Amino acid sequence: METEIRFTHKAIVEQCKAGNSNSQYELYSRYVDAMYNVGFRFLGNAEDAEDIVQDSFVDAFKNLNNFKYESSFGAWLKRIVINKSINHLKAKRIPVVPMDAHEFHLTDEEPVEAAATDLNKVKKGIALLPDGYREIINLYLIEGYDHVEIGEILGISTSTSKSQYHRAKKKLLEIINEL
Amino acid sequence: MDNFEKHIRDHAAQFNERRADKDKMWAKISEELNQKPSKVIPLWKRPLFRVAASVLLLLGVASFFGLAVLNNNAKKTQYASKELMEIDMYYKDLVSYQVQLVRNNQNLSEENKAEFLSFMDELDAEYEVLKKEMQKNLDNEQVLEAIVSNYKKRIELIENLLHQINESKKLDEDDYGYTL
Repeated sequence: METEIRFTHKAIVEQCKAGNSNSQYELYSRYVDAMYNVGFRFLGNAEDAEDIVQDSFVDAFKNLNNFKYESSFGAWLKRIVINKSINHLKAKRIPVVPMDAHEFHLTDEEPVEAAATDLNKVKKGIALLPDGYREIINLYLIEGYDHVEIGEILGISTSTSKSQYHRAKKKLLEIINEL
Repeated sequence: MDNFEKHIRDHAAQFNERRADKDKMWAKISEELNQKPSKVIPLWKRPLFRVAASVLLLLGVASFFGLAVLNNNAKKTQYASKELMEIDMYYKDLVSYQVQLVRNNQNLSEENKAEFLSFMDELDAEYEVLKKEMQKNLDNEQVLEAIVSNYKKRIELIENLLHQINESKKLDEDDYGYTL
């Protein structure tokens, strides 16, 4: 199964490697919406998301020879978009908001999950999170990375990823319950 | 993984609700992709250009050295290099300045002055001979060494003289100390 996923669109990818611009457009068409959504979730606005996704496709096509089917093309491209988004946020974030500042509002009890089944409320809640919390919630819950991968992406240890995620989730559930 | 996490992950696809402005973005991407490679790669990817560039480079280097050799042959009477000329000028100025200092010095006896200056004149004559020899035998190491030792001797002479002057000064100071 795994090999099948990794080699999805292999024929098109190979043609793109050879510089065929029709194939490039085909590959772009298949992934642009998904990548745009990934970018938008991290960056929170259309303008930045468009810039980052454009940049990512340009980088991907230019460096396609480095893509050796170790993952699917989509996963490879998504990592580019996420890395670029996080770098963009880092550059923009002038005073880094310390995570601990938000802890004062947290109780030890797990907030109720009842209201959290409404996906629209979850979407709104994620959008209201501070940048750092939103990044880790997006990476774990929606993009589906595990904590080892998140550690690599954010440059933190696996255990830090776990504890940050735990705090972020608490905060998210709190926000959702108040909506 | 709790129910909440499971619920979100199961419905993750529903978070992809936005549509990208596909054509606008593609226009920018294809512009970027077509722009940069066409500037650099095509010229050097052709083997013919590489050969042409190598030939040009070789010609350039060859003509540079060729001209340098021709110039040297044409100007035999000049110094081997500008650097040598500058060094020569520096020492010449230094020596003539020192000689002038000795001539004007009040503390030295006429005898000492004359002795020193006659040595200097001898070395001057020797230097002129060496310089002519240098013009005939360019890059002759022996001649170069002789010129260097000529200068060294002059400097040594001046140093000796300075030493003498300082010695006499010291004696004066000692005398002065005793009278106190």
